[in-house]
Amino acid sequence: MAATLTAKPRRPAGNPWAVAWYAMVVVFVLWAVLPILIVAVNSFKTTLDIFSSTPHLLFKPTLVNYRNVFSEIDYTRLLANSSIVALGTMLLSLCVGVPAAYALAKLAMRAREWWALGILFTRMVPAVVLVVPMYVIFVKTHLIGGYWAMIFADTTFNLPLVVWLMRSFFSEVPDELESAAQVDGCGRVGVFMRVALPLTLPGLIATAILCLLFSWNEFLFALTLSGPSTQTVPVGVASFVGTVSVDWGGSSAAAVVAMVPIFVLGLCAQRFLVRGLTMGAVKG
Amino acid sequence: MFITPAVVVLLGLIVGPLVYSAVLSLYRWQLTQINTAKSYAGLANYRAMLHDGLLGTAVRNSVIFVVVAVSVELVLGILIATALTEITRGRHLATSLILLPMIVTPVVAALIWQYIYNPQFGTISQALTLFGHQNGVDVLGSSQLVLPGFMVIDIWQWTPFAILVFLAGMLSVPEELYEAARVDGAGKFRILRSITIPVLMPQILVVLLFRTMDTYRIFDTIYVLTKGGPGAASETVGLYAYQEGFTYFNTGYSMALGVFILVTVFIISSAYIRLLRRRQVF
Repeated sequence: MAATLTAKPRRPAGNPWAVAWYAMVVVFVLWAVLPILIVAVNSFKTTLDIFSSTPHLLFKPTLVNYRNVFSEIDYTRLLANSSIVALGTMLLSLCVGVPAAYALAKLAMRAREWWALGILFTRMVPAVVLVVPMYVIFVKTHLIGGYWAMIFADTTFNLPLVVWLMRSFFSEVPDELESAAQVDGCGRVGVFMRVALPLTLPGLIATAILCLLFSWNEFLFALTLSGPSTQTVPVGVASFVGTVSVDWGGSSAAAVVAMVPIFVLGLCAQRFLVRGLTMGAVKG
Repeated sequence: MFITPAVVVLLGLIVGPLVYSAVLSLYRWQLTQINTAKSYAGLANYRAMLHDGLLGTAVRNSVIFVVVAVSVELVLGILIATALTEITRGRHLATSLILLPMIVTPVVAALIWQYIYNPQFGTISQALTLFGHQNGVDVLGSSQLVLPGFMVIDIWQWTPFAILVFLAGMLSVPEELYEAARVDGAGKFRILRSITIPVLMPQILVVLLFRTMDTYRIFDTIYVLTKGGPGAASETVGLYAYQEGFTYFNTGYSMALGVFILVTVFIISSAYIRLLRRRQVF
């Protein structure tokens, strides 16, 4: 994408349409970014400034909301829980999914396309359909309220992602390189470990980042399967929202703290975001 | 075998629970009866769905939501992606900023829009005040505005996805194709209809597939902001299945609703995937 983004202009500058296209882009960028900015600005305002019914741009920035978020609710705990669940899901999905992706891209096997399609369909299963039986199963197995329950649940959407995304990366590795390594005495596992994995390392890192991102954002499983001490960030933020007396400053600060890590992750994996969200179908 | 662990995990974590759910949907039981004997009810839960007015409302809301939100995202996506291919400066910066909404945690998006929609001091009400309106609008408290309000949130979050997919598709179209059309005297609209849209068909189908599936299952924002209210004005199928299970504890019925959702998802997604496979996208 980096190369195509700097592609030559389609036509000489100075035609009347150019202004309209720029205006359209600017308006859309503002529409996308302003809601986020409003909340970011609110997080530095006192409650009094937020509640004022006349909008004013000049206010005295304060960090009191951030102090409150970390003292009144145990936000550090929520951040730690989210990190544990996200990292656990990522590791499980990668360990199980990457070899499967390699097999589906490179190895001769019966009904390969059908296996791949079956795994694609599991991406379409809505979380709400899974969460009810999972809750029952985790109650019976006493996993409810623990990290494993959430890690297993989040794996249901991250594993299909890993398989399809990594499959698209593996399929770009030239077959000649692999057969050359086989001639040099590498077995199938050796080719996978020494040739295919190193060549797809950027893709692997992007896949790992996307797993972290999607687990971090996940709400329904976390809401239902977490216990009082294992709640994740979205569950904590949700407890701020929807109530009558919302602490706007505090919830804005909580929102900003929740957004910073995903913005960093998201911009790191920007080049692969579309590819991940479309299960490898659109290369981006 | 390379693929065995993944298949075992998917069977255990997805297929297993789904089959378990389908079996337990044949029993009439409550969430409190997890470890006790349940009474077999045959298809009673499924028959009950036929007479469930609230389910009817939820299905209607979901269908309206999917059709309207996905259409707007599609059209806006093509439009803004076209604009991005036409501009020469700042495209990289613009795409980096545009993608931010779609990685925002949905619960955080709900919080952001709760502030914007707030009837007293929210952004919309303040803007109305500037134009001389005395009373702000209560988007989330109005049975007419609440569903469009949630559509706007979805459109805000996910139009960027459509834009980026279309942009990727458009940038891979050879420039000669447009050049030839222009030499032949084709106007902007003709180029859009005869070149851009046919060439973008795979991307359009990809956007339709993923956005239809994800708006159909919408849960996070609605659960956090209105829990389906006011009344049942923002009740959707996913939310309803959740509430039957975890608010009213009708677990058997909730599982039957789950089977219903799964069947509809399967039908719709396999239709799209078939079309995509014909174009060698999947």
